[in-house]
Amino acid sequence: MRQALPVVADVGARVSSTTQVADAFFQTRLQVRDVSVEPGQFVQLRPRCLKGTYPYLRIPLSVSAVDTERGLVDVLYEVVGPKTSALRHVCVGDEVGFLGPLGNRFPEPASDVTPILVGGGIGVPPLIYFGTTLRTGERWDPILVVGARNAGKHLPDTLLESASADVRRATDDGSLGQAGLVTNLLTEALEAGSAAPVVYTCGPHAMMASVARLCAERDVPCFASLEEYMACGFGVCVGCVVERADKESQPSPYGHYARVCVDGPIFDARQIAW
Amino acid sequence: MTDLTTNFAGIELRNPVLLASGTCGYGEELAPFLDLARLGGIITKTITPQPRVGNAPPRIVETAAGMLNSIGLQNPGLDGFVQDKWPYLARLQTEIIVNIAAPTADLHREMSARLEDVEGIAAIEVNISSPNMKDGGMLFGCSPTASREVIAAVRSATRRPVIAKLTPNVTDIVAIAHAVVDGGADGISMINTLLGMAVDWRSRKPVLGNVTGGLSGPAIKPVALALLWKVRQAVDVPIMGMGGIATAEDALEFLVAGATAVQVGTSTFVEPGAAADIVAGIESHCDNAGIAQMEELVGTLRV
Repeated sequence: MRQALPVVADVGARVSSTTQVADAFFQTRLQVRDVSVEPGQFVQLRPRCLKGTYPYLRIPLSVSAVDTERGLVDVLYEVVGPKTSALRHVCVGDEVGFLGPLGNRFPEPASDVTPILVGGGIGVPPLIYFGTTLRTGERWDPILVVGARNAGKHLPDTLLESASADVRRATDDGSLGQAGLVTNLLTEALEAGSAAPVVYTCGPHAMMASVARLCAERDVPCFASLEEYMACGFGVCVGCVVERADKESQPSPYGHYARVCVDGPIFDARQIAW
Repeated sequence: MTDLTTNFAGIELRNPVLLASGTCGYGEELAPFLDLARLGGIITKTITPQPRVGNAPPRIVETAAGMLNSIGLQNPGLDGFVQDKWPYLARLQTEIIVNIAAPTADLHREMSARLEDVEGIAAIEVNISSPNMKDGGMLFGCSPTASREVIAAVRSATRRPVIAKLTPNVTDIVAIAHAVVDGGADGISMINTLLGMAVDWRSRKPVLGNVTGGLSGPAIKPVALALLWKVRQAVDVPIMGMGGIATAEDALEFLVAGATAVQVGTSTFVEPGAAADIVAGIESHCDNAGIAQMEELVGTLRV
């Protein structure tokens, strides 16, 4: 299931564009040579203006699109604090420290399954990249289920539809798509009896916990992309850990608490103590 | 060309820049980013007698000009270290200092005795300063008596240089420095992290799973420099200075304030190659300033 991953590098990337794509959501396109990123992997960015002492740590971000031929990597993020605000304001042509690719990737599904991608809020971008990759070669027709607080927080159709011909939307306030939780849409999709569903999810912890439970109840395989407060991103600080459900059977010191950055960020949902 | 070689308590270092314990694992994760042979040395992540799973998450939070951590010494234990981590470290062309912690002085002695059989360890650094260990660490390092006892236990079991790593979370760090020298320490490293806390006022909860953690990063550099200077005047053993070193200039400031060598810690999380850049920076700054040897700098603060 695990494929060979590209080699990690600490390089300079140039901002080629930054565009607003939804309420407080921005997409920054980075020009970076000889770096490839697989779906589900992430990068640690450091805008030059951060090369002082505050904010200090890098910004870990998932990747929403990659154009290997042209050397482009897209990151899509919500501006929530000083670091994402700094990234948003980096001028076109300016350099950003780029550490990556980091972590593992979404496992490629078997050829006869129906991938169901379930994203919430800022968890949607890596699913866009994964969905787009799945559709290339027309081996899979993924269903994309996305949730957001309101219509303004939904990513544009063009982005979502690159990942799936079957996009299903939910909002907390009912301003777009179905009112309520994304898990209601997932339940519907699972009960509609898709052939051999496999779920891939990324979003708020509580949402992923519900998705994992729904899948476990139905014996549907589920892979979750986790997020934690992170310092280094390459395994050395052991800060970004999650508790494993199967810790008793894990002999390694990282068996009880697994590192999101190098043991993940993608985990089989059954391995996690939600 | 400036000669960067540094003798620290009998250990011949290629240069005075080492990676601090707990920020470089056991070397392997950093290999893609820098040539470890360019460094003066590596201090391993703390090992304890038995494996430790560490503290409940969240373990990390960014704060002004730094970060808090409450990792809790997650490590494979002494046997796991010797079996799984040492073979890689042993091949590296740099000095390896092994950092240890244990719940009692006797267990410190047993660990040190066991490590005597492992060829190639340059020195033992004793972590009597972790704020994240409820059964050791800072518990010892806050008491002169306990500090002396732990260091004496290690001293009695090893021929290697013994370095005591001090906590800044004490009323009188000079008293602790005297105690570890009395106990037989050949050197001191300082400072470990400052006890800190972050609060989420909306949920009214601490951000860290362990409630409190250790503050590191540029925020603590002035504290480290002040304490280093105080200890430098009080004891004769060499000191490894650390606390917020991010640039070659930071490192040079520590040397002037009295450090014989420096450790780079949290900076590695932000720039994994930081320590190698700092070595290069020290060399070029010293060349430009006409400094031939490191001794011309160490402890030259004019007050």
